[in-house]
Amino acid sequence: MTGLWTNGAIAARGAVVGLALSAGAALAAPPDPANPPDPLGSVMWEALRDQYFAGAPVQFDDRVKVRAPLDAEDTRAVPIAVDATALDQVVEVAAIADLNPFPLVLRYHPMGAAPYIATRIKIQQATAVHGAARTADGVWHVSGVMVDAAGGGCSAPPLSYATKDWADHVGEVQARVWRTDEGKAARLRLRIRHPNDTGLVPGIPAYFVESLSVRARLDGGVSGPELARIDSLEPVSEDPVFLLDLRPPPGTTALILRGRDNQGGEISATVPLPALIPAPDLSRSVGQ
Amino acid sequence: MKRLVSKRLVSTFALAVAMTAAGMTAASAGGPTSEDLLKSATTTDSVLTYGMGPQAQRFSPLTDLNPDTVKKLVPVWSFSFGGEKQRGQEAQPIIYDGTIYVTGSYSRLYAVDARTGHKKWQYDHRLPDGIMPCCDVVNRGAAILGDKIYFATLDARLVALNRETGKVIWNKKLAEYKEGASNTAAPMIVDGKIITGNSGGEFGVVGMVEARDAETGELIWQRPTVEGNMGTLKGKDSTVTGTLNASWPGDLYKTGGGATWLGGTYDPETKSLFFGTGNPAPWNSHLRPGDNLYTASTLAINPDNGEIKWHYQTTPHDGWDFDGVNEFVSFDLKKDGKIIKAGGKADRNGFFYVIDRTTGKLINASPFVSKITWAKEIDLKTGRPVYNDDNRPGAPAEGEAHGAKGKSVFAAPAFLGAKNWMPMAYNPQTDLFYVPANEWGMDIWNEAITYKKGAAYLGAGFTIKPLYDDYIGALRAIDPKTGKIVWEYKNPAPLWGGVLTTAGNLVFTGTPEGFLKAFEAKTGKEVWKFQTGSGVVGSPVTWTMDGEQYVAVVSGWGGAVPLWGGDVAKLVKDINQGGSLWVFKLPKA
Repeated sequence: MTGLWTNGAIAARGAVVGLALSAGAALAAPPDPANPPDPLGSVMWEALRDQYFAGAPVQFDDRVKVRAPLDAEDTRAVPIAVDATALDQVVEVAAIADLNPFPLVLRYHPMGAAPYIATRIKIQQATAVHGAARTADGVWHVSGVMVDAAGGGCSAPPLSYATKDWADHVGEVQARVWRTDEGKAARLRLRIRHPNDTGLVPGIPAYFVESLSVRARLDGGVSGPELARIDSLEPVSEDPVFLLDLRPPPGTTALILRGRDNQGGEISATVPLPALIPAPDLSRSVGQ
Repeated sequence: MKRLVSKRLVSTFALAVAMTAAGMTAASAGGPTSEDLLKSATTTDSVLTYGMGPQAQRFSPLTDLNPDTVKKLVPVWSFSFGGEKQRGQEAQPIIYDGTIYVTGSYSRLYAVDARTGHKKWQYDHRLPDGIMPCCDVVNRGAAILGDKIYFATLDARLVALNRETGKVIWNKKLAEYKEGASNTAAPMIVDGKIITGNSGGEFGVVGMVEARDAETGELIWQRPTVEGNMGTLKGKDSTVTGTLNASWPGDLYKTGGGATWLGGTYDPETKSLFFGTGNPAPWNSHLRPGDNLYTASTLAINPDNGEIKWHYQTTPHDGWDFDGVNEFVSFDLKKDGKIIKAGGKADRNGFFYVIDRTTGKLINASPFVSKITWAKEIDLKTGRPVYNDDNRPGAPAEGEAHGAKGKSVFAAPAFLGAKNWMPMAYNPQTDLFYVPANEWGMDIWNEAITYKKGAAYLGAGFTIKPLYDDYIGALRAIDPKTGKIVWEYKNPAPLWGGVLTTAGNLVFTGTPEGFLKAFEAKTGKEVWKFQTGSGVVGSPVTWTMDGEQYVAVVSGWGGAVPLWGGDVAKLVKDINQGGSLWVFKLPKA
C-alpha cells in the first residue's frame, strides 16, 4: 500500500514537470493547424492522439461535452459522460483518461443511438479526461476536463473479492429502460457484475468486459438492427455501468444485450421495452 | 516480412529433411489440420499432440542426438512462468511453426518464440476462489488445431484461443467446479472433435469422456464411465453405460468416481479412443460390493458417437485407490513372427498389461515393481487378478463402535501408484517400453463415510512409506513380449515426470532433484544430465528447427507427492519450487 502511494506521488510529480515543459514547447513552436495543442495541456496528449486516432484529422470542439467531477471522490468509480449530440453524423465516440496506465476507456459505436455515453471509470491519478467523437467525414472532435484525484484506482483490488461467492455472480446484468423523446427514444441503463480487473493487481490476471452489443428485438421475436456497440476496456470500473440513449426502430419490443469478457465469459440479457410511460429527467443524475 | 522469411526457412528445411530422411512438415498458413495431427508421430519439425503422436508413444524418429552426440546438448534459453504462483509444472510443450505453446500451473498458457525464448503472449485464466484440485494446481498441456490453441482449466472449463494473438475465442464450462470437478489433462483432437476427460474422482464426481466441435466448442457426445449412467449424442440421451446395477449396489453408481482425469490416447488404425478410468468412489470398497464397472479400467471408445467398443478392468472392486487412468499406448507387438495390434498400460496397481487393442483381450500382465501385495498375479485366462484377500483394508466397525476405523493393512504399491500420471514411452526400434515407476507402500484403513456434494469422498485413511532406503523412483525398460525388465535406473526421489525416447537410442526423463537426464535406450546407461534449478515433473519433447535437434522440458517441483506423500514428503520437502521452460539444442558442427 505504501508502495502504491509512493509510486503515485512520483508519477504525479513527473506529470507536473511534464506539463510545464509541454507548455513551454507550445509557446516556442508555431502552432500546427493540423495538430492543434490540447487546451488542457495534457502531457500525454500527442502520444495518445497518434496511438488512438491513427493519423485522422483531430480538432478541439466544444460541441463535444465531457462531464466528470472536478475532484474524484472514489478513484475506483468516477462518473464520466461524453455527449456529442450537438454534432451530426457521429459514427464513433471514444473516452480517454490520459494519465491512466491504460488510457483508452472505451470506444462506442452508436449505430442506432444518440452519440452519448455515460459510465464510471477508474482513475490512477489526477488526469485530463478526453472525450472524442468521429463524424462521418473522418474528423475527430475532441474536448476534455481535468479530474483531480488521489492515486491508485487502477491498481486496487475490486471490492467484490471481499465476498466468497463473487465468481457466482460474474456476468449478471441489471438493466432499466425508459422511453424518452415522446417514445421515439429509449434510455438504457446497464449494470454488469464483473470485477473488471486491470491485471495490475499482483497475482490477479486481467479480467474485464471487452465487448457489449445492444440489438433491437421486433414484434414477433424477429431480430432487429444492432443499435449500439461498446468496446470496453480496463479503466471501466468494477461492475460496469453504462447509460445509453438508443433510437430503436418502431415495433421494438425488447433490447437484446450480448457481450463477453476477455476470458470468453458470456454476458446475455433481454430487456423488455415498455410501452410509453412518462420518463424521468435523468440529465442531472448521469452516471450517479 | 519476417514471418514470410521464417516460413520459407521452414519449408526449405522440410524439403531437405524429406530428401535425406523420413520426415514431414506440418507448417502451413492455416495451421495444423486434423490430418496433420494424425500424422504427428512422424512429423519431426513440430510437436503437435500431447504424447508426440495420437498413440502417445512419445517416440521421435530423430537421430542427430544419440549416445555419442548427446554430451554436446546445451541449453539455448530458459523462460520463466513468472508471477507469485509456482507449484507443479507437469506440462508437455506443443511446438508449431517456430512457436512453443506451453501451459503452467494455475491454468496459465504461454506462447514463446522457439528460437529466442521471447514471449509472444500469455493467458492467465481467472480462477474462482473455490476450486478444488485434489492433487496440485497443475496442467499437463495444450492442444492445437488450425488457428486455435486449447487448454482445460482448474475450474473445469475448456478455453480456445487464437494461437497468434492469445485472444480468447470461446470458453466453455466442462463441469461444475463447486462439486469438485476440475481439469488438468491436455485435451485431444480427433477429426475436428476436441475430446476431454474430467477430474474430481476424490469428490464422487462420475467419470466422463466428452467430445465437442473444435471450431465452436458445442458438445457432440458424452460418455459416462460408470455403469448405469446415461450418455448423450447431439443433445439427446444416447445409451446407458453398461448395465444398471450389474456391478454396483443401489444408487452408488451416481457418485461412483471413475474420473478420466489423465485424458486419453487415440489409435488411427483401429479408430479407437482409449481412456483410462479412475478409482471407484468412495475408497472404502466394502460399501460397494461388485466389480464397479467401468472404474479402474481402460475403455475403447468410438470417436464418432461415444459408444464403448470394449473395456478391460485392471482392478475390479478396487480398494486401494488403484486408479486405472494410466495411458494406453498403442504399439505393434512382434511376437512369434506375427504382428499383433496391441497396447501397453503400466497400471497404478503395479502390473504392466499388454492388451489386444482390437478386442480388449489380455495378452500378458507382469509386475513392473518389486512388491505387489494386493494380488498374487493376473490370471491370463480370465484376465482377472488373483487377490490376496488378507490385503484388502477391512470394513469400519459396525454397531457400538460405528465410525471406528477398520483393519489397517500394509499394501504395495501405495495409492500414489507403481506409476502415477507420468507418461511412459515406447520405442519401436528397441521394442521396449520405458516406464517411470515408484517403489512404495502404504498403511491403509477404511472409515465411515457419507457423500456430500463438493466434499472429499474417500472413507479411508492412509500413509505412504518408501520400500527401500536408497531409492523410490525407478525408470524401467520393459520388454512387452515377455514382461521382463531389461534395465532400470534408480532415483532417490519418486519419479514424477514423463518419458521421451528417440530413434537415436536415447531415453529422456526428469527427476525431482532437478535434472533432465538422458539414458542409452538399449542399456540404460546414463549419458547426459542437466540441472534445471527445480524439480522436473513435466514431459520432455524433441524436434528439429533450422537443421538442429532441440529438446524442451518444463521445470517446477510439485504435483501430488509433496501434498499426499506421507513419509515420502519428508524426502522432498527441501526441493525448491520453480516454474520455467528450458530449451536445449545440439549445435551444428
